[in-house]
Amino acid sequence: MKNKIQIPSLSNYAGVVLVLVLSWWIKIELDQGQSEALYLSLWIGILFGIVLQRSRFCFYCISRDFFEKKNAKGLLGITVSLIIGTIGYHFIFGAFLIDPVFPNLPPNAHISPVSLVLVLGSFTFGFGMSIAGSCISAQLYRLGEGLLSALVALIGIVIGFIVAFQVWNFFYLNIIYNSPVVWFPHYFGYEGSIILQLTLLILLSYFLFIFHKKQKADQALVWWKVRWPTYVGGILVGLIAMIAFLRITPLGVTAEIGSMARTTADYLHMMPARLEGLDTMRGCITMIKNSFWSNNGLFIFGLVLGSFASAIFSEDFKIQIPDRNEIIKSLGGGILMGFGSMIALGCTVGNLLSGIMAASLSGWVFLIFCGIGLYLGWRIKSSY
Amino acid sequence: MNLIKKIALVLVFSFTTQVVLAQSKYLVDTNWLEENINNPKIRLIEVSVIPGVYERGHIQGAVNFKWHTDLVDTVNRDIVSKDKFQDLLIKSGINQDSTIIIYGDKNNWFAAWAVWVFDIYGVENVKLLDGGRAKWEAENRALTPLATKVEAGNIQITKTNNLLRARLSDVVAIANKKSDIALVDIRSAAEYTGKIFAPAGVPELSVRAGHIPGAVNISWGNAVNEDGTIKSVDELKKIYSAAGIDGSKPIITYCRIGERSSHSWFVLKKVLGYDVRNYDGSWTEYGNSVGNPIINLSGTVWGKT
Repeated sequence: MKNKIQIPSLSNYAGVVLVLVLSWWIKIELDQGQSEALYLSLWIGILFGIVLQRSRFCFYCISRDFFEKKNAKGLLGITVSLIIGTIGYHFIFGAFLIDPVFPNLPPNAHISPVSLVLVLGSFTFGFGMSIAGSCISAQLYRLGEGLLSALVALIGIVIGFIVAFQVWNFFYLNIIYNSPVVWFPHYFGYEGSIILQLTLLILLSYFLFIFHKKQKADQALVWWKVRWPTYVGGILVGLIAMIAFLRITPLGVTAEIGSMARTTADYLHMMPARLEGLDTMRGCITMIKNSFWSNNGLFIFGLVLGSFASAIFSEDFKIQIPDRNEIIKSLGGGILMGFGSMIALGCTVGNLLSGIMAASLSGWVFLIFCGIGLYLGWRIKSSY
Repeated sequence: MNLIKKIALVLVFSFTTQVVLAQSKYLVDTNWLEENINNPKIRLIEVSVIPGVYERGHIQGAVNFKWHTDLVDTVNRDIVSKDKFQDLLIKSGINQDSTIIIYGDKNNWFAAWAVWVFDIYGVENVKLLDGGRAKWEAENRALTPLATKVEAGNIQITKTNNLLRARLSDVVAIANKKSDIALVDIRSAAEYTGKIFAPAGVPELSVRAGHIPGAVNISWGNAVNEDGTIKSVDELKKIYSAAGIDGSKPIITYCRIGERSSHSWFVLKKVLGYDVRNYDGSWTEYGNSVGNPIINLSGTVWGKT
């Protein structure tokens, strides 16, 4: 028995086959012109989806574990990803930009203005993810696991974006316009920035450790059903973030959703003629799409696809049909998340992960206020 | 005898500097660049406009010039000032005896703008990489994401030749038939005829559509082959002379903001050797100017509903 290696049955590979077939088909579809970046985006998305699914990298779920069970393991996975990502990003910064002299910034890194709008957006986002039960990236990977309420949440997110478009110009012209963009290497150099970030992240991890209570060990399962330890997920997320930044653009999951919202709003004649200043910003920026295939669209598609394959393989896939209550929560939470991530220029991925890894103050501000919103949302939700 | 002659010819060719192999002393091809990439006399400059293109992979040794801030004066709407340009060149390790090779994305449009600026400031030995970034990539040649660290150069800019630029007054004179200079509009036919105000994906920066009276339309793309390289001198002569541009008169090129027209300026001036000036104010200046006539073959009126 001991030496016998267990192998999952053939049906577990169905998702893997689907990934191979679809990625092959997309490769052929893309083959006209320059498509390397698009194809790579798809695969980065697939890998990201697998890692999120296997290590249960759901920002809300792991926060709830911490609040309810004093289980800090999930949150420690995030700090691990930020530590790896910080180091990786700084290595890349040094290649892209030898001297971090003001006002030069590394290309596309999610370094955005710090303002009250960011505070409001982060808070709303955090609150919304508690209500909806998952942030946007987790909705996407859980959609791959068969959670159909994620589709409702996505509709809510699109609505939230459209609401945010109506107020964007007001926020931009009155607040964001003269808000500072703070990038730590401008002040402390690359070494100083790494030291500062790692110190903060290690202190944060230590804080989480203090509250952590030892959990009951998982029951022994066959190997393909075992969730990956969160620190493994954290290391892999950090590495994927690094690869994405080096080769394409930082990780983010809302740009494509924003484009969909923009197209929808345009169709409904609810789109302002212009979104002032948006094209001068960094982060998950909502663009008008010029072509069907986009880097972020393929990344998102890959994420859901990768998670689906991984869920099938590990027998986590289960179609879950939401009841009325869940539909309302997903829709309401989705609207708040859409609104928050549009005005904050990113969500837990584009702002919290890609912002903090890029040593941008905006990422840290998002972490704090999203955390506060999340906690309040959880308190309210759990008191019902 | 014939065979010996042929061999001799081949030998002579391979021993002369390979620059000769390119069509013009202002162009180098990708092969030549790859072979000479470690030559300490060569300074390579990338002028790409899509953010992150240079950083994620450029030709080894290239430094990055940003068109929007490095090569223009954003306050005066002008080309970069002499002092700022000299600082940029020194910081980029350019010496008095450097051979400068420039390339970029978007078919070398902004790279050609850079060549034009170098020309105005009298810098010698400036060449364009034929086919630009796109050809280098298409040929699967190596790129690196490592930024280039260079020691300060010693170049001194001694002259400014503003005669290489055309101004609004020059083109107004052509429009009013008070000048005999040939005018080439190198934009697309849809822009030239006034069907559209600006190309797709670009903001409408002019309140009128159409072209400057007296301008002939030879789209910049006519000057390049499928792989982005500039066509042969014979072909170019045929294309331009068909539209009456044969070098017998001085020429002015323009487009929307002066970048695509830099490409045609390069072709006409550096490859064909004509007397050519680039009108960098281009349609965004002329089209908005007050009291000057345009020709709009499509009858479009801005703001009319």
